[in-house]
Amino acid sequence: MEDQIFVSDLPSLDTLYPGKVTLDTRSGYSGFIVPREFLLEVSTEIHDVWGYDMLSSITGVDYFPEKMEVVYHFYRSLGGGALVLKVQVPRDDAVVPSIFSIYNGAEFQEREAWDLLGIKFDGHPDLRRILMWEGFEGFPLRKDWKEAYYEGDTKPFSSRWPEGVAEHSENKNIFNDNVKYPENFDPDKWIASGEEALYLGLQKSENGKDMETESIVINLGPQHPSTHGVFRMAALVDGEEIVDLKPAFGYLHRNHEKIGERNTFLQNMPFTDRLDYISSMSNNFGYALAVEKLMGVKPPERAEYIRVIMAELTRIESHFMSTGFLLNDLGAFFTPALYALKERELILDVFEAVSGSRMMCNYFRFGGVVRDLPAGIQETIKNLAFERLPGKVDELDQLLTENEIVRSRCMGIGVLTAEQAINLSVTGPILRASGVPYDIRRADPYSIYDRFDFDIPVFYHGDVYDRYLIRIEEMRQSVRIIQQAITQIPEGPVFEGKPQYQVRVPAGEAYGRVEAPKGELGFYVVSNGQANPWRYHVRAPSFINLTSLRQMCLKYKVADVIAILGSIDIVLGEVDR
Amino acid sequence: MLNQWLYIGIFFIIAMFLPAVAIFLARLLSPKKPTKIKNSVYECGMETFDPTWIQFKIQYYLYGLIFLIFDVEIVFLFPFAVAYGNLALFAVVEAIIFILILLGGYLYVWRKDALTWQ
Amino acid sequence: MIDAALIWEWIIKSLILIIFLTVGFMYVTVYERRFLARIQSRIGPNRAGPFGLLQPAADGLKLIFKEELIPANADKFIFLLAPIITVIPALIVLAVIPWGEAMVIFGRQVNLFISDVNVAVVYIMAVTSISVYGITLAGWSSNNKYALLGGLRATAQMISYELALGLAFMGPVVLAGSLSMVDIVRAQQSSLWYVVLQPAAFLIYFFASIAEINRAPFDMPEAEQELTAGYHAEYSGMKFALFFMAEYIKMIAISTIGATLFFGGFDGPFVDQIPWLGPIYLLAKVVIYLGVLIWVRASWPRIRYDRLMQLGWKIMFPLALLNVIITAVVVVLVN
Repeated sequence: MEDQIFVSDLPSLDTLYPGKVTLDTRSGYSGFIVPREFLLEVSTEIHDVWGYDMLSSITGVDYFPEKMEVVYHFYRSLGGGALVLKVQVPRDDAVVPSIFSIYNGAEFQEREAWDLLGIKFDGHPDLRRILMWEGFEGFPLRKDWKEAYYEGDTKPFSSRWPEGVAEHSENKNIFNDNVKYPENFDPDKWIASGEEALYLGLQKSENGKDMETESIVINLGPQHPSTHGVFRMAALVDGEEIVDLKPAFGYLHRNHEKIGERNTFLQNMPFTDRLDYISSMSNNFGYALAVEKLMGVKPPERAEYIRVIMAELTRIESHFMSTGFLLNDLGAFFTPALYALKERELILDVFEAVSGSRMMCNYFRFGGVVRDLPAGIQETIKNLAFERLPGKVDELDQLLTENEIVRSRCMGIGVLTAEQAINLSVTGPILRASGVPYDIRRADPYSIYDRFDFDIPVFYHGDVYDRYLIRIEEMRQSVRIIQQAITQIPEGPVFEGKPQYQVRVPAGEAYGRVEAPKGELGFYVVSNGQANPWRYHVRAPSFINLTSLRQMCLKYKVADVIAILGSIDIVLGEVDR
Repeated sequence: MLNQWLYIGIFFIIAMFLPAVAIFLARLLSPKKPTKIKNSVYECGMETFDPTWIQFKIQYYLYGLIFLIFDVEIVFLFPFAVAYGNLALFAVVEAIIFILILLGGYLYVWRKDALTWQ
Repeated sequence: MIDAALIWEWIIKSLILIIFLTVGFMYVTVYERRFLARIQSRIGPNRAGPFGLLQPAADGLKLIFKEELIPANADKFIFLLAPIITVIPALIVLAVIPWGEAMVIFGRQVNLFISDVNVAVVYIMAVTSISVYGITLAGWSSNNKYALLGGLRATAQMISYELALGLAFMGPVVLAGSLSMVDIVRAQQSSLWYVVLQPAAFLIYFFASIAEINRAPFDMPEAEQELTAGYHAEYSGMKFALFFMAEYIKMIAISTIGATLFFGGFDGPFVDQIPWLGPIYLLAKVVIYLGVLIWVRASWPRIRYDRLMQLGWKIMFPLALLNVIITAVVVVLVN
């Protein structure tokens, strides 16, 4: 079937499968609508016949009060645009067949949609809540669900300014009222009901050894020094060996998407900074792209260059950090991490100069960037790109790559084959370390990446060592891009149109995605023409890359789990959202 | 010679004072306000599931056994080492045979894959 | 034969050594933190007292005033016993190390060692292996899964490296023809330092001893990244401090033993004319040796557990055995 695939073609499924697939004809929308009874059949077809082997994102939209819509974005691992499928179901009977058997990467995303929107996926092997806790009532992303201290559907909340005086509803409640427990609830005695389900879901090994010993369940996390945040893995170990492992998270969950739907479009820009707080510029980029698609604006030349420079600096900074902390996870006592942080500080200096903030940059706007580069910073960036960073990347390379312990700890650990990686929706450095040359900057170019000369590094072992190598190599490529961009950058405006607080976004949907340092960062935004997005969904790379964690850890040792987790490079702000 | 051991004995008794004083001082000075949650076992903030004291993987004990054999044999080698300069050739040959027997056991264990951690 | 003055002399010497070790332990922590900080282009603790020299006192005070928690399901007696079992062997192992030539103090001929037993090397091996019990018991009695794993790892690791360690001692012993540390130093004074004559034995000793005291890169039993704190995860306050102390005193101990066995101990230029140079030479060697240990910790990631065991059993042990055989053959040929 391979020869049938043309990368640029989007198959017109509605003519190919008449009666099963129809075109989405709403204005501002694209893609195809599939009735739920044909979903499995159609997705098998597009996977096997049409080569859409990567499931990018699954999410739902609550078109209150009519219907619930499940939105699937598929891509080809060879590159090209998205194939969007939609399944519409009634709100009170929101059941959709699970496509887990075809795309293993659906596991966590379907759980998320169940958790937040109450869409039930038939045939999902482990449909538990994922971000909220077991026992939580209601589905928070449904439009008729109201949070505690609900004030209004959209910001700015008018109730906060009675007669022009700011008043916060949090202050209306004295503290004591805030910690009222439900009836029959004693925090000392309470055991989360989901725990048992999690532990018993761990599968014991079946092979009958002659000397049978017991295995134990160990929780690695949430309060653990090397899970990169409040992240938890329930592991079943036999001696030192991992028999089964399941991640559990959501400890940092704040329902980013619900807050995002209350916010106006522009208010979400600084809010995206808080997702992957290591690389806020990339987050801005993805969100700006999605909303710009809806608005139909294009930033001026100079702004595009600035965006690319910032995004690549972010990549270098993020990779420095993940490399340093991977070494920490291997047990090196902070030395590599601190060496890496030293370079990161220099890049953060640049961010501070251009945006006023080191981490929460909030620098991008719909149609450009918020302000031009300050005087002299161009020289600083040039100096970084031509002098400092290349040498420092080489230094890191020299110090670590040939180290015997690093090699023995990383080589052949946490192997993910190319097929597994694609099937598990893994993106970013992990996918490329498994031998799939898929980088959105080349596969589905956005902004002005098609103008630069750079390579997509690929490694083929799919182990921790290759993931480390690929980050080193990507830093070199990013330096190359910055070198070109900073010499070619033209003079001119950095913003298209008039800056305004309340942007006008026409009704429709858009999916904007960028190659963030951690992988594919996507924003699915639905507007109904109001000041606030009707739906604001984040396809968080850290979250979806975690789907592969279990697969990578089985049969390795306890110590390897930490190294593998470090090599995935998660940021909990993005995982839990 | 016995004297020398007596001195070590004195040293040992004095050394005992250090942890004793430290623990005693701490008991005197430290606050004691135990609660149920404080005294619970630390497992990254989760309740421990299933008992901890179980029949653990056998391999740890296997190493213990192998160690015991070789350690004793090494201790037997020390007298040879001390008196090595004054030994007759026969004794040296004996020592070598002893080491060879040691090696035989070692190779057997290696072949049986008991040295590879699983 | 044993008069009261002699007993007093030994009590005073014991006290001096204990105090020296306690203070030494405190300043090794400062040394480590400052030196690590320099390697990592940081400053390190410098606020408590001049150059941060009062830092260990502040730490100690804090730990004394900390509440000590005992997990509800722990085996309380063993839980209390474990740190004591760990710390005492670390202290008494140094009893057989000579610190210098005999000196005349207040008109008395004073030997600068606690004891010169004729089986000092075996004594060292025996005493160091006792501290394994402390760590194992700590790990088991806490009733904590990390601690249990850490304790088991510690046991298997320490016994694996003890073999290589014992065989590494064999080289100097064959050359000196004695198990007494004093004799070994004397033998090095008359020939070369054994690091020159026994380089392989020294390297094996160096790595095996790091593994024996669970320092990076062999700090498997603690393994912060995996097992949070390993065997002492449940320990707090002074009991934790005792484990900490044991670890650092063991560092001093292996540095001292290494310096004595392979670097001539208190040997150095003019030491036979000016006897008080002896302790200074030994101290300098120990400080340098400790510096190398810290440097190693700053530079290397941790080895994985199964690789560590393989390294111990399949590489270090046969190498050490080979070294003993070669030494024996060479000695026969030279004689």
